[in-house]
Amino acid sequence: MPPATAVKAVSVSDDPQVYEDEHVHGVYDEIAPHFSSTRYKPWPIIAQFLDSIPAGWVGLDSGTGNGKYLPLPLERPGSVWTIGLDRSRSLLEIARTAGGSHREVAWGDVLGRPWRPGAFDYAISIATIHHLSTHARRKAAVQRLLECISPSHGRALIYVWAIEQDELSKRTIPCDSSEQAPASQEKNTPLAGQDVFVPWVLSPQNQPKAPSKRKHEFRNKGADGEEQQVSSTGATEPPSTKIFNRYYHMFAQGELPDLVCEAARDLGLAVGNPKEHVDAARGIEVVQDGWERSNYYIELRRWEYQ
Amino acid sequence: MVRLITHNLLACHAKGCTSNNFPLQFKDIQVELREAEFNSDFLRGFLPRIEWAALVDASRQLGDTSLPAEQPEMLDDDFLQKLHHVLLEIHVEEGAMICPNCHHVYPISNGIPNMLLAEHEIG
Repeated sequence: MPPATAVKAVSVSDDPQVYEDEHVHGVYDEIAPHFSSTRYKPWPIIAQFLDSIPAGWVGLDSGTGNGKYLPLPLERPGSVWTIGLDRSRSLLEIARTAGGSHREVAWGDVLGRPWRPGAFDYAISIATIHHLSTHARRKAAVQRLLECISPSHGRALIYVWAIEQDELSKRTIPCDSSEQAPASQEKNTPLAGQDVFVPWVLSPQNQPKAPSKRKHEFRNKGADGEEQQVSSTGATEPPSTKIFNRYYHMFAQGELPDLVCEAARDLGLAVGNPKEHVDAARGIEVVQDGWERSNYYIELRRWEYQ
Repeated sequence: MVRLITHNLLACHAKGCTSNNFPLQFKDIQVELREAEFNSDFLRGFLPRIEWAALVDASRQLGDTSLPAEQPEMLDDDFLQKLHHVLLEIHVEEGAMICPNCHHVYPISNGIPNMLLAEHEIG
């Protein structure tokens, strides 16, 4: 038996929304303060991206978590505004004062579109899309990002977890399941990532003393299953170590660019350099993509012919 | 937080609500004023992309009548200070935003707007 804290391969069952309510949103609402205390250092490529944003631009951080990117760039505070969106109300309570001053945050789903189309100049989605449990939902999340940024100059940066983990990572990934694409795989078939549970261990000293407000958090979706799942110890028993299994889709090499290109084409956007698509009115160009510290990332920009 | 910088970006996204769904109308609000650091580079850069009529209308709903109905051509310091105050120093802490088209209610609690939709409201 692997220990309870090992990463486990899973297969997604049930309605994906219900599944994510239980294995993503419910978990983050429970672990928010402890999770946040471990997430404070911005990753270099994300910091560089935000450093390169011109003064006066307004952006969306879709899946902002504890809001650690909202104060950036630190060298010129207030020259750009990043607005944080998250599904976890508990994390937003932390994000709203990230970096010690008041931020702009909204409680919402990354699959929603509560914005004027093209209202933002840039968008980031860091460690978020891998929490969506079907390909269709991950594609929809990318499409929401593409739709919310300016069609003429919008820029976006997406980070997701990779199957390929570096040696600094504490995780060991089971190698017995679907992440290995069969050798016979056709070039055109979708690249297969891997669905896993990544445990979060909440020891007694990291648990809040007061009863949590979890009942309140879920009333909008009416998804009750996760409450029973995560609160089985009850409020009156002494706290013990709790393990929360978070759902992740770990991306295979090449899967993220494929996902982004498919999402763009389905919106009627050309993919590539605008000079090579003079027949197209609108498109996206991939500025860079790669792997950094156990994650795949992709940066893109939108273009259009006036 | 719902400051007017954010309000100027939000739109209703309830199922089937795709026109006249901006700007959301404030209702039963509680406002707090908090000083924010003035940054004229930000204001000059953001100004061309503001939906101006929506900003002026929203600021009047919050009791601030300092902005002119039309964007001025001269961006003097006095105007930028007023714009700064309206965009970044008025915080709507409690209340709701109502869609002008479908009347969907987006509550605001502890400064955080709830833009989630119930399953049957998702378009």
